[in-house]
Amino acid sequence: MIAIEHLTKRYGADIVVDDVSLDVESGTIAVVVGTSGAGKSTLLRMVNRLIEPTAGRVLIDGQDTVTIPEDELRHRIGYVIQGNGLFPHRTVAENIATVPRLLGWEKKRIASRVDDLLNLFQLDPATFASKYPHQLSGGEQQRVGVARALAAEPKLLLMDEPFGALDPLIRTKAQADLLAIQRRFKTTILLVTHDMEEAFHLGDRIAVMDQARLLQYAAPTEILMRPAHEFVERLVGTAERPFRLLSLTSVSRALEPGNASGPPIDISANLRDALSELVWSGREALPVSDISGATIGKVSVAGILALRREQP
Amino acid sequence: MSVFSALLRIALLALLVTFIAAPQVFAPVFEPLTSHGAPAIYNQGSLVALTLSHLWTVFVATLGSIVVAVSLGIFVTRPSGLEFLPLSRTIVNVGQTFPPVAVLAIAVPLVGFGEAPTLIALFLYGLLPIFENTLTGLTQVSPLTLDAARGMGMNARRRLVEIELPLALPVILAGIRLSLVINLSTATIGSTVAAKGLGEVIIAGLQSNNTAFVVQGGLVVAMLAFFIHDAFRLIERRAGRYQSAQASA
Repeated sequence: MIAIEHLTKRYGADIVVDDVSLDVESGTIAVVVGTSGAGKSTLLRMVNRLIEPTAGRVLIDGQDTVTIPEDELRHRIGYVIQGNGLFPHRTVAENIATVPRLLGWEKKRIASRVDDLLNLFQLDPATFASKYPHQLSGGEQQRVGVARALAAEPKLLLMDEPFGALDPLIRTKAQADLLAIQRRFKTTILLVTHDMEEAFHLGDRIAVMDQARLLQYAAPTEILMRPAHEFVERLVGTAERPFRLLSLTSVSRALEPGNASGPPIDISANLRDALSELVWSGREALPVSDISGATIGKVSVAGILALRREQP
Repeated sequence: MSVFSALLRIALLALLVTFIAAPQVFAPVFEPLTSHGAPAIYNQGSLVALTLSHLWTVFVATLGSIVVAVSLGIFVTRPSGLEFLPLSRTIVNVGQTFPPVAVLAIAVPLVGFGEAPTLIALFLYGLLPIFENTLTGLTQVSPLTLDAARGMGMNARRRLVEIELPLALPVILAGIRLSLVINLSTATIGSTVAAKGLGEVIIAGLQSNNTAFVVQGGLVVAMLAFFIHDAFRLIERRAGRYQSAQASA
């Protein structure tokens, strides 16, 4: 678990991060969201001590980070930045091998780890290992950047606008990949973004920052239902709020007995997808199927509306 | 490099080596430049020895420039040396604006005739291009790349050796090439203070009013400069090959 306690950063009279405290449970994703200049990146960079805090402390699994030598601390924390920061004079394989090499792993172990990661990120080692970063597309570079951060199997991953430089289509794919990998390795992730959509899509909890202060730190539904501050309310967007809420709710919540006509929707989908399919196909209800494809019930417009009335 | 340009280089190199080793072979070529039956080919010493000591002088002086200029460039781009950046720029620029002849004139009374004053002049003259290029090379490394390196736990020394210097290398090499080529021709004036070098051939020609000698000395120096320039371009391209590597599917 990461515990950020009363973290503060001042530059002279300017206060960049003002007394921020938040906990990130192991194996979860916390997303820090806010406008630019809100202090998000500074907060993130104080966790791996790229910036030394003026006051406050960070505990990783109960250990104060100031007691760990800087470089050793950073070897243990994966770090991904916008525009990936790959080393242009090193091949993809050499880039990924950076931290394992710093840690003095054996050559064989490094090589097999690099191969594993390339396969994991759907980059064929035979094609990609010996390429230089400039020979890759933006999406490929981004994947290599994340692979490099995960190379030494860190428990914690810090990501500063990791998808900011990607076009929307590739970004969605990169987010899905990240979620899949996070679930597989149970990595704890602290991610900074200015994209509210991304925050709701990825975050188990969302921290909203504005003008150096943490306004609210809560689960996405909580942020939507009970915004703690006028700024939070504006940030989540009143018009989009219902759709964001639906996208956080699984189809199973609105599952009703019975059947309906037309192509079915998967039980693991969310209600936003279901509603959008209902509207698009002009139907009153959709059949819902489980993993095996068997119909297990239906989801209807009325059911979705009723569900909303139940919620406080 | 195309086959043609490779062949051309080999032919030119063969010509240069032959001329230095056996200049008499070329006597008929230089005959028209002489008058009153003066010798057409330099005959006051071995061209091989002069060429070697010329190259040696340039090599030693440039090596000194590299060590000082690169170290200085690294120092003033570190956080601890940043305040010395303007000062070091001024000092190195003065080294360049001072005419080498003036350096020779000042240095001779201090260190005597021979190699020493030439080495001092060339050393000072070679500093600026290497220093400037070291600065350019080191400061153009993307801050994003350095941030990533630091964030992954590379200490300052590793960042310098593994990231900054390799990325700056092509630019630094271009500075060294410039210094070498300038020094190769500037070294000829060293012969006025009794340094062994190809300048002797030119000066001998000027003293005896023998154009053939002047042209010979000049040509050998020019061709040496050409080959050194060429070889360095190859090395620079190798050092920066990651930029030019072609995308292959």
